[in-house]
Amino acid sequence: MTAAPAVPETETDAELIRRSHADPEAFAALFDRYAPMLYRYVSRRLGPEQAEDIVGDTFLAAFGRRARYDLERPDARPWLFGIVTKLVARHHRDEAARYRALRRSPAEHAVPFPDDAVDDAVAAAGVRPVLAGALAALPRRDRDVLLLVAWADLSYAETAAALGIPVGTVRSRLNRARRKIRAALGDTDPMREEA
Amino acid sequence: MDDLNLLRDLGRDLEHEPPPTLVRQRSRLAGGAAAPRRRRWLAPAIMATAAAVTAALVLVPTVLLRGGDGGRHALGTVARTESGPARAVNVLVIGADGRNGGASNADSIVLVHLPADRGRASVLSIPRDVVSSPVTCPNAKLASPRMTYMLTGGLSCSVKRVESLTSVRVDQAVKVDFAGFAKMVDALGGVEITLPKAVDDRNSGLRLGAGRHLVKGRQALAYARVRHGLDDGSDLARVERQQRLMKALLARAHQKFGNPVAMARFVAAASSSVTVLGGDDSVALKSLAKGLEKVNPNRSDYAVLPTRINPADPGTLVVDEARTAAALRPFKR
Repeated sequence: MTAAPAVPETETDAELIRRSHADPEAFAALFDRYAPMLYRYVSRRLGPEQAEDIVGDTFLAAFGRRARYDLERPDARPWLFGIVTKLVARHHRDEAARYRALRRSPAEHAVPFPDDAVDDAVAAAGVRPVLAGALAALPRRDRDVLLLVAWADLSYAETAAALGIPVGTVRSRLNRARRKIRAALGDTDPMREEA
Repeated sequence: MDDLNLLRDLGRDLEHEPPPTLVRQRSRLAGGAAAPRRRRWLAPAIMATAAAVTAALVLVPTVLLRGGDGGRHALGTVARTESGPARAVNVLVIGADGRNGGASNADSIVLVHLPADRGRASVLSIPRDVVSSPVTCPNAKLASPRMTYMLTGGLSCSVKRVESLTSVRVDQAVKVDFAGFAKMVDALGGVEITLPKAVDDRNSGLRLGAGRHLVKGRQALAYARVRHGLDDGSDLARVERQQRLMKALLARAHQKFGNPVAMARFVAAASSSVTVLGGDDSVALKSLAKGLEKVNPNRSDYAVLPTRINPADPGTLVVDEARTAAALRPFKR
């Protein structure tokens, strides 16, 4: 039985990618590290059906481009999220349709909340269709920035690296997107039951 | 509440947990990585393929020889195997993922060459991310050139695509639907597995003590898929386990075939998971099945179609024409 050599936890992404130049199998460790995270992100934007293939496509594309990875960047997440963003963009019609469907339908399932969270939960459920509608209406580039920050938890600098744009552009797109979201929310009172 | 927090809540609502099948995407990566070398026994993609071939080698003769109506779906549009003395044949074996709703995708694509004496098969795995040049299929518009979507136009279309990709003549095609696997196990009244130690794995849902167990289909499937708590957790170990399972299943099948009721049930379950193309000529099918029955999967020669990253679309692969000759040689005899 040949066991895969254990990957030391301390090895950075850049070190893994450097090692994968000579030993392609090392790249699989990057998959193990980030595939679940990328899957969750894509499942939010496009749903579970497409997420699996897109995660696979992402790593295959990343593998093909690994020689061009900037080894000065220890954390590969911005790079991977950049590839994911491009692949998700091919499905931007599906994505908008997904959000529009949420805009029309009430909450899909009732989730039990702890008592002190009830107020927030009611508010969140009420604004959900509005939020989804606002997301659907955003220009694709603004939405990419907004969701990398809000859903992928990337910093402004990481978002800029992922999309290959200046940090200033990240700020301006994010501000524009958030202004539109707040404007949409402003049309409703989130604390009222009928939003 | 702050707009970003509301947005985060919405995101959490929309999120799905990664399914156990996500690991398949990892083996695609190995397929791309393994492409430069002709033989790589340890590459997970090949081993996964070997599991699919084993499944086919076990199921096809079982279904065809035991009177299942495997030829039922035959479209009769590709070359048939002549009856009479055996001759060398190329068989296309497709492992389909059988998604609910929508067309299933080809998960593993394998060409098997059976020489006239049927002793030793050559197995060539075709990475599912290879793109093929467009072919015309009467009953389908071609959705995507990627081979994984080859089932869109039906098996006859898959055959055309493989023939155009490899310039190898395909005599017969078999599709094995893994979704039906659990049903087949249940039809046999379960299958016997042996665990070296107790397992409690939440991802796959497998919870069993150490030792021998007779398990039902759902647990057998979990056993085939589990990645934690058994052996070293590698893909290779998992695929070896799958092959052990297939052998146990075959042994169980032989044991049960004395019982006509159990056999009828098994054939019904298996024939709904196996689709055969290549004519409804039962003599030809039986001779092919007999040929497959003789082949020892452990003595066969495994290779991967040489590919390289597609410069036009790095998410896909193209055939590396310069290096295919050796890999395809056994198939052109």
